[in-house]
Amino acid sequence: MAHPVLLLGTTALQVTRETGRMFLFLLQTILASLSPPWRLRNVFKQIHFIGMRSLFVIALTSVFAGMVLALQGYYTLSRFGSEALLGPAVALSMIRELGPVLSGLMITGRAGSAIAAELGIMRIREQIDALDVMGVPPIRFLAVPRFLAGLVALPLLTVIFDVIGIWGGYLVAVQLLGMSAGTYLGGIESAVSMHDVTTGLIKALCFGIVITWVCSYKGYFARRGAEGVSHATTSAVVLSSVLILVSDYFITAMML
Amino acid sequence: MTTHPSPTTTELRARLADTFSEECREYRQRYHDNPAAIVPILSMQGVTKHLDGRMVLNGIDLDIPKQAITAIIGISGSGKSVTLKHLVGLMRPDSGIVALNGQNLGSLSGKKLQAVRRRFSLLFQGGALFDSLNVFDNVAFPLRETTRTSESEIQTRVFGALEDVNLSGMGHKFPDELSGGMNKRAALARALITRPEIILLDEPTAGLDPIIENAIHHLICDTFLRTRTTMVVISHAVPAIFKWCHHVIVLHQGKVLASGPAMTIMDSSDPVIRQFIRGEVDGPIHIL
Ligand SMILES: Nc1ncnc2c1ncn2[C@@H]1O[C@H](COP(=O)(O)OP(=O)(O)OP(=O)(O)O)[C@@H](O)[C@H]1O
Ligand SMILES: [Mg+2]
Repeated sequence: MAHPVLLLGTTALQVTRETGRMFLFLLQTILASLSPPWRLRNVFKQIHFIGMRSLFVIALTSVFAGMVLALQGYYTLSRFGSEALLGPAVALSMIRELGPVLSGLMITGRAGSAIAAELGIMRIREQIDALDVMGVPPIRFLAVPRFLAGLVALPLLTVIFDVIGIWGGYLVAVQLLGMSAGTYLGGIESAVSMHDVTTGLIKALCFGIVITWVCSYKGYFARRGAEGVSHATTSAVVLSSVLILVSDYFITAMML
Repeated sequence: MTTHPSPTTTELRARLADTFSEECREYRQRYHDNPAAIVPILSMQGVTKHLDGRMVLNGIDLDIPKQAITAIIGISGSGKSVTLKHLVGLMRPDSGIVALNGQNLGSLSGKKLQAVRRRFSLLFQGGALFDSLNVFDNVAFPLRETTRTSESEIQTRVFGALEDVNLSGMGHKFPDELSGGMNKRAALARALITRPEIILLDEPTAGLDPIIENAIHHLICDTFLRTRTTMVVISHAVPAIFKWCHHVIVLHQGKVLASGPAMTIMDSSDPVIRQFIRGEVDGPIHIL
């Protein structure tokens, strides 16, 4: 059996190398996305894939998230006799927190996994090498359109998530619990500031980067056949989700 | 009144084979008169490569003659594909040098490497067609992405290339709807379409029936005679391939066992080469 110190050292080296490679990949992607050609067709195709094709999932999850938030919020607030604050409570948690985070997690599951699997298969079938040999830089061709699409799609999806979520809260608060529509909506209008909206959108932007970066990276460097691709996909989803939650904390702390 | 009928394709093919075998004889003569007069375009010197802790290339020295067809042969697993990947810089040697026109490929990166790569095209052993594009778009891909060819010319050239590999009318199919041999031929069309300086083909005839195999040999030879492109062909089509190349390199256990004009290698008295050419199970190479 290997000596524990040896094991620790090897693991540390491996983690360092992997992290370095990941950031290098991000850097190369960002640099490539700053200069033409952008292959806009590919970018639109990816926006369609990441954005449009996720609309249904986003709509479904957001309406239930809004509804449960209103239900729980009402239950808690009514203990302190502040039911009137339900609108702002739902809206603020949606806009500042749940909108970006849940959209991020849903998109990781729906589009991120697909990105990792697709690039992984391209890698093991030597299609990425083929691009390389043709003199078409694979990062520019594959990672950049996904990256740009993530930057566009995540904020848009988050806004949709927010709106539908707040409407879901409205359904429960007004239709089910009998609150007046004026109280629910009026409270939102006076409580939500532009800063809250910006915070939420900045988060969405960051998550867009995290998802497309991590998932492209994992697929891009997949190895060893079908098993390697499935491993890449799993670890892309796990790492992307973890990074979303971790970075969420730090962005929140910085933007308070 | 007598008319001169235009030569039939059969006659053209016969003429092609004759012209080419004449060339090969000349090449052999030139090689034996003065090997130094044969200009190499690609060369490897002392290239070693470990993959997964196993020595795959064990000091390869070879020269690929310019404007000639070179065949690389050797038993399965002898490192042919890995050698080819070194020649385009897809893999980097652990030690040793891969040079294109005397320029070390290992010293290139970024835009320069990209520019060098566009002088090559490579047919991968597995084809490596893009699954998300149909055959037409696959073949058109290098033209669209790396050249400024007009869409109408792309059409003409792609249809021509598909016809050459006997895939006319298959342009709308996707790679997963093709048979193995059709996949290979579509990939071959993609490799030939950009008319690069150097064409590397990893087993262009593997998995094809003997008729199409022969047709592909004719196509490669015809392309060569028209364009004088340097070609490297990995092939298991022994002994047929000896008729279709100027130069042969035999790889064995990660080393170059022999290198020379096709006819010279064909007549070699080396027991390993003889066993390989004749496909005998008994001999110095132990398989079973
Ligand atoms: N990416 C890789 N990782 C690890 N080992 C590899 C890799 N590619 C090739 N090898 C090993 O290198 C050796 C040579 O492989 P290569 O593909 O060059 O053989 P080949 O001569 O092309 O054989 P074939 O005629 O069957 O295609 C094999 O033993 C193979 O296991
Ligand atoms: Mg091979």
